[in-house]
Order: sequence, then C-alpha cells, then structure tokens
Amino acid sequence: MIELANFSKSFPTKQGRKYVFKDVNIILPMDKSIGVLGPNGVGKSTLIRMLGGADYATKGKIISPLKISWPLGLQGGLQGSMSGRENVRFVARIHGFSNTKVVEDKVEAFAEIGLYFDEPVKSYSSGMKARVAFGLTMAFDFNFDVLLIDELSAVGDANFRIKSEKILFEKFKQTKVIMVNHSLGELKKYCQAGLLIKDQRLFYFDSLNQAIEQYETDYVKKH
Amino acid sequence: MNTSLSPNSAQNRTSFKIMIDSVHALLMRELKTRFGTSKLGYFWAIAEPVAQAAVLGLIFTLLGRHSVNNIPIALFIFTGLLPFKLFSKLLPQLSVGISANKALFAYRQVAPIDPIITRLLIELTTYVITYIFIMLCLGWLGFNVIPEQLLPLFAANALLVLLSIGLGISLCSAVQYWADTPKVLAMVLSPLFYLSGVFYSATMIPPQYWFLLEWNPIFHLIELSRDAYFKEYITPIGNWQYVFNCALVAVVLGLSLYRINRFKFVSQ
Repeated sequence: MIELANFSKSFPTKQGRKYVFKDVNIILPMDKSIGVLGPNGVGKSTLIRMLGGADYATKGKIISPLKISWPLGLQGGLQGSMSGRENVRFVARIHGFSNTKVVEDKVEAFAEIGLYFDEPVKSYSSGMKARVAFGLTMAFDFNFDVLLIDELSAVGDANFRIKSEKILFEKFKQTKVIMVNHSLGELKKYCQAGLLIKDQRLFYFDSLNQAIEQYETDYVKKH
Repeated sequence: MNTSLSPNSAQNRTSFKIMIDSVHALLMRELKTRFGTSKLGYFWAIAEPVAQAAVLGLIFTLLGRHSVNNIPIALFIFTGLLPFKLFSKLLPQLSVGISANKALFAYRQVAPIDPIITRLLIELTTYVITYIFIMLCLGWLGFNVIPEQLLPLFAANALLVLLSIGLGISLCSAVQYWADTPKVLAMVLSPLFYLSGVFYSATMIPPQYWFLLEWNPIFHLIELSRDAYFKEYITPIGNWQYVFNCALVAVVLGLSLYRINRFKFVSQ
C-alpha cells in the first residue's frame, strides 16, 4: 500500500508557481500493477520520480511500508560519465552489497552489449541504456515490492523485448509495477489497475479498462 | 536466488549504515575519476606542492636568503604552502560536489551531503599523506622537522578544515542559484595566495601595514601553525579567538543554507 497524504508538488516558473499536483489524498492498494495515464506534461514522470524518492513533495507525504525501486527510465538512474560496469557497481554498493563482482557479471550477461559495458554510458544508444538499466533491476534481485518503470520498454529490439517481458512476468509473482507508457497495448499487457492524472489530482481505477475509458472521454478528442 | 547474492542484511540497514555505504560507493567512483585516468595518478597530488615550494625556495635563495627567523626556507614555505593548498583545493572541490553528482541523487540512498563528505575525505587524506611525506623527506635531508607543539598545530588545522567545510557547503548553495560561482571563486582564490602569508610572515611586514592582512583568517591560521611548529617563531598577529569565530560563522552559515536548500539540491 502506498499512501499519498496532503500531497502537493509545484514548480516555480516564469509565469508564477505551477502546480502539478495539489492536495492529493489517495491510497494505492498495490495488489495489482498500475498503469499511469495522462497526456504529455501532466506529471506522470514527476509522480514516478517522487514515488522513487528522486524528488520531494512540496507539501505532504508519501507513506509506504513497501520497498520501492528507483525510477527506472531513460532520464535518470545511469550516470553518463561512468561506464555501464561502474554504474552497476555504484548501485550495488549503495544497496549494501559488498561483493559487486557477482552483480556486474549478471547485468553484463543480461544486457548483452559486449565491450560497450566498459565504455561511458553517454556513448550508449537509448536501447543500450535501457538494457543496462533494466538489467540492473531484473538480472539482480533487490527484492523490490514495487518497480517504477517510466517508458522503458518502449525502446530495445525484439530480442531484448522478449527477454525482458519474460523476466517481468516471472517477477510479477512478488513484484508489482507502476508504469508509464504511451502505448496502451503495453500497459494492458502488464497492468490491471489504472491511475489517471487530471486537474492536478489522481484518480485510481480498480480496472485498467475503466481508467482507459475515462482517459479517452477526458483527454482524447473525438474526430 | 541463492543466499550468497543477497545483500548483507541490506533489508534492515540503519540510516548510518546506508550513509556509510553510499559514501563508500561515491569514494570508489571519485578516486577512479580523479586519480585513475592518468598513469601517475596519485603522484601528482604530492608532486604539485613540492614543485611550487621549489620555485618559491629558488626565488628566496636567489635573493640571498637562507632562513627566516632562523627557520630554514624549505620548512618555512611548506608550513604555509600546504595548509593554503588544502584550503584552495577543498573549496572548489566542495563547491561543485553536489552539482557534479546530481544524477546520482535519483537513488534515494544518496543524500547531497554524501559527496561533500566523500570529497572531504579524499582531500584530507591526501593532505595528511603529503604533509607527512614531505616532512619525512626534509627530515631525511637533515632538517629538524619535529614540530615544537603538536596540539596547537592540530587545532589550527582543525579550524582550517571547519572553515573550509562551512564555506564549501555555502558555495554549494550559491552554485544552485548562480552557475558561475566557481569562476568567481577561482578569481578570489588566486590573490588570496599572496595575502595569506604563504611565503612571508607577519614579522617581515611593518606593523602599520598589518591591517591589510589582519582580516584574513587563513593568514591567522598559517601564522598560528608556524608559531606551533617552530620554537624560533612567535606570531605577533595570530589570534585564536578570531579564527574560531570565523570557522563558527562559516559552519553555521553552511549548515543553515544546506538545510534551506536540501530539496533544491536533489530536484533537477
């Protein structure tokens, strides 16, 4: 269960303070995986970042007894100046692993990017970044209860997709995801529940199809 | 998943253990980027002050001076140059410590203070190693390198470190608001080299001009540490109370600014 209590997030802009979320009070049960719905710029990534502890609420709190992953996505997580291996080492160390060699080998085997694993991440293509980022959480067991995934599976070739899909489904026995993806097909594949962002507030739907219906009536223009 | 892969009680680490782990991770990373790129790596950390002291020593020798207040030139310069180097390296390092590691705060385990602690550890260790190594070499060459009073020497160095930490964290906050802060810092640090008594002491300056340097806590600290190091030298200026006040103000300012900006450091 993840509780958002009196939760607000705002950014100062040139036109004044802009609220992304305002006074949100909601409980996400986390018995099902959740797909986050909303148009561009409405705050999907911001929400994921804050659930993952990469950003703070302006007001209010996020309370949860669960172990939540860092936001897995293309923007954050991997440091450009470090190589893939150094990134993996770093993440393993901050999570308290003293023997990082085992982790490195596992991620290296999963990512299958060959010698690039020892090159700086900034020289990677977005697909290669996704392979390492995904490999980091998947190939190695950090025992997360909730995985935060931001547009990650959108990249990668067919081979990588099949492999990551297989692992994701395996993990679903114990791990739930909160996922942002603009492809509704992808969301339907992994998620059963939906979370709609509208008017600086969050609306939880027990079924993803309901959430998608609401999303389409609210946001998608009829032609 | 077999048990050898599971983290060492990573499930229930204390906050302190998490901090230790993340400082350790940052330390390995910083050491690699700082010293791992060049083959000579760590050697330069020692070679740089030695070369600088050699140039200053040469100038003194050419001017015909072999001692200051009966203190050999080499010892006199090193006791001023090394503390100044610590200060002038710590400040730029600390001031961009947070902004340079911004991407890593995406992991909730890494707090903005962690890279500050990491860089402090690296610079301090390098300082102590360099100090001892150089003094051992000078001792081997026949100089009397045993400090006269150890306690005041440590106290002066501790105050120098506190002053640097306070100013360093304050500068971190300044960098958040104004990205050009490090450039201004570099402009301030280079004249400070000439104003801090690295290659002269207060007794070499006529008392009516002391007011030009008296405001500078680094000058006080170098004076005080020479006073502690050499029994031949007694500083006419060095004032413990003043330096302590400066360090206190710097630390309070630094910690307050850190507290105020703690969310700003993390968000992108």
